[in-house]
Amino acid sequence: MLLVKNLTKKFKNSVAVNNLSFNVVPGKIFGLLGPNGAGKTTTIRTVLNIIKPTSGTIIFNGKPITNQFFNQIGYLPEERGLYRRSKVIDVLKYFAELKNLSSTKAIKTADNWLKRLKIEHYRNKRIEELSKGNQQKIQFITAVFHDPDLLILDEPFTGFDPINQQEIKELILSFVSSGKIIILSTHQMDTAEKLCDEILLMNNGKEVTSGDLGEIKKRFGGNNIKLQYSGNGEFLKSFPGVFQYESYSNYAELQLNDDVSPSEFLHNIVDKIEIKHFSVIEPTLNKIFIDLIKEHPI
Amino acid sequence: MKKILSIAKWEFVEKVKTKTFIISLILTPIIIIGFSIVPTLLSTEEDTRTKVIGVLDITGFYFDNIKDALEEYKLEDGQPNYIVINLYKKKYEQGNNKTSADKHIMQKKIEGYLLINMPVPDSLVAEYRSGSIGNFNDLKKFEAVLNKIRIRKELLNSGINPDMISSLQKNVQIEQIRIEESGKEGKQDFLIVFFSSFIFIILLMMMVIYSGQMLVRSLIEEKSNKLIEVLISSCTPDELLTGKILGLSSLGLTQIFVWVLLGLALVGGAVVPPEMFENILLILLYFVLGFVFYTTLFVGIGSIVTTEQEAQQITTYLSLTLMLPIVIAMPAIQNPDVLILKIFSYIPLTIPSVMLLRVNIAPVPVVDLLVTVSIMLISIYIMIKLSAKIFRIGILSYGGRPTIKEIISWIKSG
Repeated sequence: MLLVKNLTKKFKNSVAVNNLSFNVVPGKIFGLLGPNGAGKTTTIRTVLNIIKPTSGTIIFNGKPITNQFFNQIGYLPEERGLYRRSKVIDVLKYFAELKNLSSTKAIKTADNWLKRLKIEHYRNKRIEELSKGNQQKIQFITAVFHDPDLLILDEPFTGFDPINQQEIKELILSFVSSGKIIILSTHQMDTAEKLCDEILLMNNGKEVTSGDLGEIKKRFGGNNIKLQYSGNGEFLKSFPGVFQYESYSNYAELQLNDDVSPSEFLHNIVDKIEIKHFSVIEPTLNKIFIDLIKEHPI
Repeated sequence: MKKILSIAKWEFVEKVKTKTFIISLILTPIIIIGFSIVPTLLSTEEDTRTKVIGVLDITGFYFDNIKDALEEYKLEDGQPNYIVINLYKKKYEQGNNKTSADKHIMQKKIEGYLLINMPVPDSLVAEYRSGSIGNFNDLKKFEAVLNKIRIRKELLNSGINPDMISSLQKNVQIEQIRIEESGKEGKQDFLIVFFSSFIFIILLMMMVIYSGQMLVRSLIEEKSNKLIEVLISSCTPDELLTGKILGLSSLGLTQIFVWVLLGLALVGGAVVPPEMFENILLILLYFVLGFVFYTTLFVGIGSIVTTEQEAQQITTYLSLTLMLPIVIAMPAIQNPDVLILKIFSYIPLTIPSVMLLRVNIAPVPVVDLLVTVSIMLISIYIMIKLSAKIFRIGILSYGGRPTIKEIISWIKSG
């Protein structure tokens, strides 16, 4: 269990993280969400003990986080980088040794992972000879091959094609069942929506909302419908009972006033436009995100 | 500790494998030794073939003497060094004599000729005319011969006994003997002192520039692609710093080791004079101290700079301070007590190279050795502490280069 309490990190003339508190329990993926510059990376760096917080405490499995946890932490940074001119296996071995694996174990583990991600034929190639996606895989291996208790993944899916994304997603989910504490930081809401059980949405260093994803969705659920129609739907913007209207290429999403039920609304518009599809929807995390960030401007 | 060794090993192995390392390892000493010994070899090389030298003696007094004297010079195999022929033809005017002699040179019948003239009574003017600017050794011999003949002639004219003259004309040669601490005598040759110091200073500088740049470049790479974050989430900055310095120093020591072996092989092959290695232990001591000092300095700098150009500039300028002793080498060799040399002997940046020079010039007092080595050790210690503080914060500060003020605050905060 990771407990972060009243975490504050001030830089020379800015406050990157402002009194942030959250808990991460094993067996669930914790989503650290927020727009660029929200303070996600600073939060991660303090948790990793790379930088010292100005104030606040970070407790990992009952103890304040210190250098002794180095070997139990796996970190996939947002910006990827490896020693480009070195061989894949050498780089993997080096990073494994830095996580305190013996050199024989390091090579064995590295080979297993290369096989698992189906890139064992690149074992003796230089990093720079690999495609971007395969380099990402190597970097991913360096974050997980020492079987860390705490895994921090910063934007783990950028740079992967859909097939590899799926593969990595399955891997991450397998870590959940093995009881690791996982923090996933991203600004891709659809990813977070698919993977995270709990989220913390932050902006300008402060918490905007947090909690169980399902509950948050319910809380911001409101009256949302998805509507597909032919003809001009512009009039819906100012139609009575419509709180918000957003049109996409071939459909529209509407948020209704709380006192209007979806079926009542359908009844009202059914004569005015040719409806092809009508459904009541939960708001996407993306929408909640955008709405909330708009509500909490800088 | 285990991680420090892993880091050191990584830094060492990954760099040892690079082509640039192997090239610099082998090429650097070859180039330097080539530069320093080839001119000496060439200029002192004895003639190996007999040369035909003409003499055009307008005065008519000197030819026989010159011929006798020059033909006394022998090559190593006992053959005469010079065959002297008379180019003076009575039937020609003076101008024509010259033209015909010049023609001999063009036709490569002779190497060159001595033109002896006496424009005013009692003055002897000689020219050596040849197809190329004459060999330094030849000229020296001609000069000696002419002077000897002239003096002999003058002395004879004033009625001095010929035997007396011969005895007067015996050359005294001065050999330089340096008295060393142990009381044993050492032969001192300016060139050897100069070049052996020079070579070691250049080697040190090349090594510092080379490995300094390598260190800074790898730091910049790790910083720019955020590898540093992965590293720092696996070990402490101090472990990383120590590992890097250790790895790089072993790399440096490997280089020194290979170079010393190479040097010894050259001594064995009689290419390099063994005098160069007389003070090898002291030289190695200052060499290693200098290398480690500069390496720690570069770690601090490497964590501040953000681009490779910046890095290159700074490393090059810093390494050039090592060259300073070369500039003051001449006065220093002539007078080892010169003030500026003493001053530079107490500045950590210049101690290594100045001492490389001083140990070769004259025995360095034990006190000076102790003082300079202590200064180096203390500076290295302080430098490691300072660099570690700068490193700890610098490696994670992105964006622009920090100001001096910021760096000072980092040092204080550490």
